[in-house]
Amino acid sequence: MRWLKENSLALAFLIMFFLALGGQALAGMLDYNDRQLAEGAEPVSFAHYVASSSFAVDVAENWQSEYLQFFLFIVMTVWLVQKGSPESKKVDEAGAESEEQQRIGPYAGPDSPRWARAKGPRLWLFSNSLGLVMGTIFLLSWLAQSVAGQASYNSDRLGDLRDPVSWSSYVTSPDFWDRSLQNWQSELLAVLSMVVLSIYLRQRGSPESKPVGTPHAATGVQG
Amino acid sequence: MRTLLIVAALALAVAGCAPDTAAPARAAERFHEAVSAHREDAACSMLTRKTAEKLPDPGQTCAEALREVKLGPGGAVTAVSVWGEAAQVRLAGDTLFLHRFSDGWRIKAAGCRPVRDLPYDCEVED
Repeated sequence: MRWLKENSLALAFLIMFFLALGGQALAGMLDYNDRQLAEGAEPVSFAHYVASSSFAVDVAENWQSEYLQFFLFIVMTVWLVQKGSPESKKVDEAGAESEEQQRIGPYAGPDSPRWARAKGPRLWLFSNSLGLVMGTIFLLSWLAQSVAGQASYNSDRLGDLRDPVSWSSYVTSPDFWDRSLQNWQSELLAVLSMVVLSIYLRQRGSPESKPVGTPHAATGVQG
Repeated sequence: MRTLLIVAALALAVAGCAPDTAAPARAAERFHEAVSAHREDAACSMLTRKTAEKLPDPGQTCAEALREVKLGPGGAVTAVSVWGEAAQVRLAGDTLFLHRFSDGWRIKAAGCRPVRDLPYDCEVED
């Protein structure tokens, strides 16, 4: 029971993720089959749909943008600050910070992760591991979007009696960039909203907000 | 790590499935063999339902309409593209578009000529 409480945030999001993904698959299949019937084709099974390029591109285009959002947020907040925002460091703390502030090398404590006590490439790798993993997942998801997107796009093109296109043509096509940019703009707007609204607005008890009574100008304070 | 694997699996699921190009190529060849042998009824049975319905004018059968179209000889298969349930088969003398149904590949369009930046112009299409 204690384990459940200690991990409730991750578990709640994991459950919501699978419910949303399942819902997307079901709604996507119904929409896909609706179009299949209109075009004189046969409806497909649930298993067939979730293995299709149509489902894969819809999933991947959203994943890449979410990981891009977190990658940018993690990396840009090292150097860029926003006065008054709990999402930002204090204005004069911009940068990678000292070894002492980061508790690395000689300043690592007995409870620090082993790689925080290491030197050279291992320390660099661990020091940037969150951004690197988020950035890598973004690139892989974007690659998956391009591969699945080409397959889905070409299937539609053949249905419209047009020639299919190569991968290199697809990644410079309006379809690929429309899918990418429509997701990016919404993610960037969401981050902008979070950074700016959290200067003036509060959510009592949330670590994403400043404590309710904290002045608007206070930066880097979390509840 | 799990997410990485899922993303990789997604990419492989899409990229790694080598499509079966032989079946649509055979369907296109059989269609042209039937047309060349004046077995228009057999050729009509290889069309998609929508294409077979759209082809004849009022009072005409599909076979009569197909005979009027006068499709040229198909010839040997030169290229096949399969994406999902759709395929394009290029023969020496024709380009055909096909769709996969539960009973196999059917001809969606035949007698097709390319038009720059636009869909192919086809003698037989849905």
